[in-house]
Amino acid sequence: MNPLTPNTWLPTAAELRLFAPELILIATIVAVLVAPILIGRRPVAVAFLALAGVLAGLYACGAVAVQVGAGAQGVLSPPAEPPLPPMLMADRFSLFFKLFLLVTLAAIVWLWMIGAGQAQRWAGVENRARPLAAGPEFFVLLLTSALGMMLMVGSLNLLVILIAIETASLPSYALVATDKRSRLGAEASLKYVMFGAVSTAIMAYGISLLYGRFGTLDLSTIAAQIAWMPPAADLVFWLGLLGLGTGIAFKVAAVPMHLWCPDVFEGAPIEVTTWLSVASKAAGLGLLLRVVEAFSASAALSDAVVPLTWAVGVLASVTCTVGNLAALRQESVKRILAYSSIAHAGYMLMAGAILVAASGDAAAHGDLPRAGMAALVAYLLVYVTMNVGAFGATALVAWQTGSDHLSSFTGLGRRAPWVALPMALCLFSLVGLPPLGGFAAKWFLLVALGKAAGVHPWLWVLVTVAVLNTALSLYYYVRIIRQMYLTDDDALPPVRAPGGGLVMVNACAVLLLLLGTLWFSPLGQRAGRLATHVFYSPVPARPQEVPSPTGHPPAALPAEAPRMALSAGHTPPYHGK
Amino acid sequence: MLAIGLTHYLVLAAFLFCCGLYVMATKRNAVGILIGAELVLNAAGINLVAFSRYETGLADGQIAALFIIVLAAAEAAIAIAIFVNYYRLLGTIDPDAGDRLRG
Repeated sequence: MNPLTPNTWLPTAAELRLFAPELILIATIVAVLVAPILIGRRPVAVAFLALAGVLAGLYACGAVAVQVGAGAQGVLSPPAEPPLPPMLMADRFSLFFKLFLLVTLAAIVWLWMIGAGQAQRWAGVENRARPLAAGPEFFVLLLTSALGMMLMVGSLNLLVILIAIETASLPSYALVATDKRSRLGAEASLKYVMFGAVSTAIMAYGISLLYGRFGTLDLSTIAAQIAWMPPAADLVFWLGLLGLGTGIAFKVAAVPMHLWCPDVFEGAPIEVTTWLSVASKAAGLGLLLRVVEAFSASAALSDAVVPLTWAVGVLASVTCTVGNLAALRQESVKRILAYSSIAHAGYMLMAGAILVAASGDAAAHGDLPRAGMAALVAYLLVYVTMNVGAFGATALVAWQTGSDHLSSFTGLGRRAPWVALPMALCLFSLVGLPPLGGFAAKWFLLVALGKAAGVHPWLWVLVTVAVLNTALSLYYYVRIIRQMYLTDDDALPPVRAPGGGLVMVNACAVLLLLLGTLWFSPLGQRAGRLATHVFYSPVPARPQEVPSPTGHPPAALPAEAPRMALSAGHTPPYHGK
Repeated sequence: MLAIGLTHYLVLAAFLFCCGLYVMATKRNAVGILIGAELVLNAAGINLVAFSRYETGLADGQIAALFIIVLAAAEAAIAIAIFVNYYRLLGTIDPDAGDRLRG
């Protein structure tokens, strides 16, 4: 079927409404671009405009989530018989990630506003003056990269994936160099853009190979073809998958595509570091899961499941270990947190390994994919809280002292008790100590891994790696805490943190405490319920099987049968050699 | 007469891909590395158009190639802007000259 049918088709308002969060974000980008012409270059006013847009997007996202929860189909595709595969989708899976991204975005805009307040105080002081004037451009770039990430988690087509990754990446390269006078920023952005260009190019080549092998760019059609033609010894398929994986690994910063990460995180302004460490990783993971989910539903892949699980498992373990080992000997707190975020990407990839292990034969694994997904959802929710808290506290210190070196944290327990305490809690949570949110996240992950290891015994290796790495990470997190509480220099003046910043980091700490204690089991239940909701909803509407937001999870996975039905309709003939 | 078929285009694309990889791995100049990446992107474009012409008969591969051209242009624009900034501060565009960020 030719997608370029001559009769013009435009989406209806009801269909477009399901993509309201993206549309609102686009409108905000335009507004932020135009605003300086109308009201003059007033960065703080523009920041409020951006924040308003993000909050409106957040509201729209919630409204769409309710609609989709009630059974609305969030696809844009022209009416055709048989139905054309959609390119973009607003399902529960993508909506969870969109909500997550928008909440993070709001936190970043807030952090920038706090920093702007600081900048006005320090104007003219060497080292501490910050490029406030770049405000409008900063927000255009930030919002555009957020838009790209939102497209990443909703895409069902290889071309859309490529465009979305680029939409997310290109503004990020520039964001890193927002401070044009900073030599570190220039170095960091150069390294970032080089790595990004290389990995995108390789990914594009991989996508072209997959297109040639399967004759389509649509993920679900490719998955259906895999079900027909087992690709076990198909070099073109594996090379194509390798190329696609390179691009995704770059976004997640998994080894060996992690080399850009510490340099970029250290050189970038701290708001950008926080944004990249949380959002870019979450979007990359969302995309990875989307691809894994699409490919894994076909039973024919089960021969390939064991090596594929090995591959993801080894990648996860290496990512985790490399991140933790490299963090041990760092002196810059930003850099320590950068390596820590690589390690955490490793833990989250372990949840991905569960999903791959459980793919192929759905009947044999029952609840496993759901458990893996629930662990990942819980981990992401906790991860964003601890990282915003830890980076926020680092920002407050760095803006006051002009450096994020470990020595700036000397005696912080006395100099700024309400920055040091939440920082310590966030760090303990990053280790995974009870009674904090980080413990809950690790607990759910290890339980899910243990369950999966019941089916694939070698997954116990991953459990061991995760536990050993947790012990290893204790050293460098505690080093910061030791610097804050056990060393002091009376000559150092108190650190005056702005009220907004204190509210932000302390709110994160309180949230972590709650997640580790009172909300421990609600977190697990909520994540489990989200996990049943996030799986790919089939294209033909089946409202009677869609569970209500408060209903019970369905007994079986809803993904298998409809995709098979889809494959019978419009699959192009097999062309590859 | 030798008829030009799919294989010829694929070999050309694979050759471009290898050239691109070689350039990216060996050049000590940011612009050189960027050119390598563009070579690989163009290899992908040739693949897409060739597959769409000889295999699927659909326009989607050619549309994808058009998008890749646009992406390459956008990427080059932002990369060059970053190079200019780097050159202004360091006086060179050798990526290895940026040695303040290490560890």
